[in-house]
Amino acid sequence: MMLQMQDLAGTTPPRSDPWPISRRIGLGLLALLAAFALLGPVLVTADPARQDLSASLAPIGSDFLLGADHYGRSMLARLAYGARLSFGMALLTMLSAAAPGLLLGVLAAWRGGVTERALVALSDIVLALPGLLLVLLLLAFAPGHFLPLYLGLSLSLWVEFFRVARTTTARLLVEPRIEASRLLGFGTFYILRHQVLPEIAPLLLTLASFAMGTAILAISTLSAISVGLQPPTPELGSMIVELLPYYDEAPLTVLMPGILIFLLVLGLQLTARGGTVR
Amino acid sequence: MTRLLLGRLVQAALVALVVGGLCFALVRVLPGDAAFRIAADRYGPDALTAQAAEAVRQELGLDRPWPELLLRWFGELAQGHLGNSLVSGEPVSEELASQLGPSLWLAASALVLSLLIGLPLGLVSGLRAGSGLDRLALIGAVALRALPPFVLGLVLMLVFSIRLEWLPPAGYGTWREMALPSLTLALGLAAVSSRVARDAVAAVGATTYYRFARLKGLPERAVLVRHGLRNAAIPVITYLGLQAVYLIEGVVVVESLFAYPGIGHALVHDVIARDVPMVQGAALVMGLMFVLLNLGVDLLCRLLDPRLGAGR
Amino acid sequence: MLFVPRPRRAVLRGLIGLAGLLALAPAAGAAEGRSAPERALTVVGPWEVGGLDPASNGHAFTRLQVAETLVGVDAAGAPAPGLATGWTVAPDGLTWHFLLRSGVRFHDGSPLTAGIAAESLRRARANVGPLSRVPIATISAEDGAVVVVLQRPFALLPAFLANHTTIILAPASYEPSGRVVRIIGTGPYCAVTVAPPLRIELERFEDWWGGRPAIARARYLAVGQGETRALMAESGEADVVVSILPVSLARLRRNPKLAVQTVTPPRTRLLKLNAGSPLFSDPRARRALSLALDRTGLAKVLLRNPGLGADQLFPPAVSGWHAEGLPPLTRDLAQARILLAQAGWRPGTDGILERDGRRFAATLRTYSAWPELPPLAAAIQAQAREVGIDLAVSIGNTSDIPARHRDGSLDLGLVSRSFAMIPDPLGTMLQDFGLDGGDWGAMNWSSAETASLLDRLAVLADPAEREPLQRRLAEILQAELPVIPVTWAELAVVANRRVAGVRADPLERSYGLAEMRWGTP
Repeated sequence: MMLQMQDLAGTTPPRSDPWPISRRIGLGLLALLAAFALLGPVLVTADPARQDLSASLAPIGSDFLLGADHYGRSMLARLAYGARLSFGMALLTMLSAAAPGLLLGVLAAWRGGVTERALVALSDIVLALPGLLLVLLLLAFAPGHFLPLYLGLSLSLWVEFFRVARTTTARLLVEPRIEASRLLGFGTFYILRHQVLPEIAPLLLTLASFAMGTAILAISTLSAISVGLQPPTPELGSMIVELLPYYDEAPLTVLMPGILIFLLVLGLQLTARGGTVR
Repeated sequence: MTRLLLGRLVQAALVALVVGGLCFALVRVLPGDAAFRIAADRYGPDALTAQAAEAVRQELGLDRPWPELLLRWFGELAQGHLGNSLVSGEPVSEELASQLGPSLWLAASALVLSLLIGLPLGLVSGLRAGSGLDRLALIGAVALRALPPFVLGLVLMLVFSIRLEWLPPAGYGTWREMALPSLTLALGLAAVSSRVARDAVAAVGATTYYRFARLKGLPERAVLVRHGLRNAAIPVITYLGLQAVYLIEGVVVVESLFAYPGIGHALVHDVIARDVPMVQGAALVMGLMFVLLNLGVDLLCRLLDPRLGAGR
Repeated sequence: MLFVPRPRRAVLRGLIGLAGLLALAPAAGAAEGRSAPERALTVVGPWEVGGLDPASNGHAFTRLQVAETLVGVDAAGAPAPGLATGWTVAPDGLTWHFLLRSGVRFHDGSPLTAGIAAESLRRARANVGPLSRVPIATISAEDGAVVVVLQRPFALLPAFLANHTTIILAPASYEPSGRVVRIIGTGPYCAVTVAPPLRIELERFEDWWGGRPAIARARYLAVGQGETRALMAESGEADVVVSILPVSLARLRRNPKLAVQTVTPPRTRLLKLNAGSPLFSDPRARRALSLALDRTGLAKVLLRNPGLGADQLFPPAVSGWHAEGLPPLTRDLAQARILLAQAGWRPGTDGILERDGRRFAATLRTYSAWPELPPLAAAIQAQAREVGIDLAVSIGNTSDIPARHRDGSLDLGLVSRSFAMIPDPLGTMLQDFGLDGGDWGAMNWSSAETASLLDRLAVLADPAEREPLQRRLAEILQAELPVIPVTWAELAVVANRRVAGVRADPLERSYGLAEMRWGTP
């Protein structure tokens, strides 16, 4: 039986296009959000902490461009400052969790043996201490401040990156093409950079974008159990919790911080994956 | 195999020591007068006075030096006894048992629900990578993940309890009360696991061996089942083991919102009240559960891919 | 990889099957009361169920009418007969006789005797609680009456015996070491199951001295989140819900299936000031801070009831203590600034006041046990800033306030103070405004006149005699402001229309389960 060209249809890998539409949309979103977070506080003149109880829950388009919260504080100002704080700190947390996680994970998979076992044991012990407990305990040292919050979050998030990096790399390294590269004499760094990294990058980028969302949400979780940041600090996660009781009267105002977080994670996801494979 | 089990056993012992000691150290060093904290949790804000705090201090011997207390805890642990709660006076093991049970059911059902929702969705999205369904699933996943579990729970309550009147909003007793809390958690978990599954399936779908299977002439379903699923399953299962981070935080909030008597909201009370034996006991039990969970994940991965077990 | 070996496949299948089973299995734990014919009355409240110790959880058993106290409270808040039908005091004011009601039985069938009641009271006194503050010499029993001998005259004794820590329990409730292992009380309902932290199951007690209750079974569920409680009322899961967030009230009032009642309990949110601190030692500074507060705005926006702005310490509902015609606490920013200037404070470059190089900056401490306190604190922070006072808000734990009172590190605390721990507010006033101040009251402030007024009130029983003294007390506190009242409180009870006879108790001593009955649905 002769193999026809059409039999091969559907079996070739899709051609990778580094700049598909979805990636461009994602980058566009991120650029807009970054502009809002960085320039917003500079351009918006309203004070995010100034209260005006007579203007409680003012609707969008009244004296306040984006309405006011229950204290009569400008939502636009609070969103701008909140975006700067939340996004900035979420980025910092994610980087401080992803970098060691990735490096140690690849190291563990590459070296194997004692190194791997020691690192896995370490990660398991860190994982064994429940993340929330760790954050609660650290927060109890300095209630209402940022540093213990993000320290605790990073500590509980890095294991995620470590484990996924390790297992994916381990699986990759037993593939025949890695063996072939090794036999051909290519060095460690070459293999890691050109063959391993492109494979694990998409998975890790997906995780990273969700991790940033998780960091912001962890703060709203803590605010929900009243262990959050000191008032009147504007922060997206705690704004959602503060405004929640008013969902019946001003649903749009309640949704606004949530929409910003949604746009951030969506932008990151689209940029990371681009919607297509490889 | 036995090496793996032995290694995990050693790890369990190590976890017990480190977690227990760390918790003890952290809670002891925390600012705030422990006697006042415990009295606050016991007698409530209206009845809290300095006399009550003094009485608590005397009763529990909170002035004793910390090495003595730590050693005593380890000694009790070796005998299998976790001590008594400082707030209620009941044995820690009993309190934990009554709190852990509901939480375990909640977590387990949330995990299973999330697999039932997330995996098929991820599978279909991965096979049709780049299509409209894939993009829609992405937006849905991001939307679910961008919502705090608190808000999601409230929305579900509004929809299922008020509008549709299908399920009770809160409480604990039968599967009906557990449905909304576990759905809240499951949706958040499914959001991520569906994306991870989608990535894994899409990656596998583009490999050489997958293409070769198709070229061989195998029907699509056989290709998927024999070559696709097992390889795609590994990163998904690995990630499952890590969902615990989201799960623990989610469990705390969801239990508070749905008035579910589990370990999540008890833990918050215990940390705030500086109930050291309870915090130590809870951290210890959770730590050991993680070890078990990791063991399960590792065994499952080895089952799926024998190459991981063989020496490299 | 062309075929999967059989054993592995079997294991995989088994695991998937197990997962499916887990998904469908019903939750472990008691699923009680679904098969019984009559529906159990479901009461939902915010407070959690602790253990069985009356000192820490007695309120659970008085509210659900499982156990009772010697003295009750009438509609006006005055002491009324409970398990004691009446009481007399000897002319010297030291010996009190509480005549016990006859024919009262405990849930286990044993009769209530004076000896048992006296023993219960002795245990309560030895435990932590308000009774330890009463100058009691001895408690004994004598011919169907409990005899209490005091060390010095104290007119409030009956009120103290209405407090939930003094519930009378049967001897079988205690184990030899003195710990309570069962709650066997005299009330209309027996506690069948006490499942901390969230549930109590009750069954009616047929032989209650007050008559057979109409509703056979009831249960209490603790639901900490206010939004969830409102949703439980709306969905019909709960028959009676106690304590609703102000924001949800409007929505619930519009619901035709629900009946909403609101009462004003004797509870005030106030700012507890450290009058010994250089910031607040000058009464003008304290008055200025009070003048900066927009109480009506706070009450309107955060409590959804503008009438709750506290223009004096006690709300109008607390007769005898609310002083008519007292100059109210208002908002006057100009006057506040003048007073602060008179006290020597000048605005600095950032708008915050300064004096001798020291900024007017303090930490306002509060706690989240009451959900309205953190939002109030955030609003007060903003209002104080308008007159140049910089407050940093720290939301901690309830115990921070008394702990910091003791070690002197408190600047300001926003607290929710209940004056109904003892039905007579004097009980709490004695605790808060004596010469040494109080953990929840005055700090580093004392007034000889206040102390003497309190001493005289403690021995007077006649309301007419007490009235002028109480008024004078209110005047002093209004002028000196060792604590600044911010808002009063409102208690909302929402009942489904299928339950009749629901009454909201402003003192929150009892939920009145025995008076409830199933009405027309």
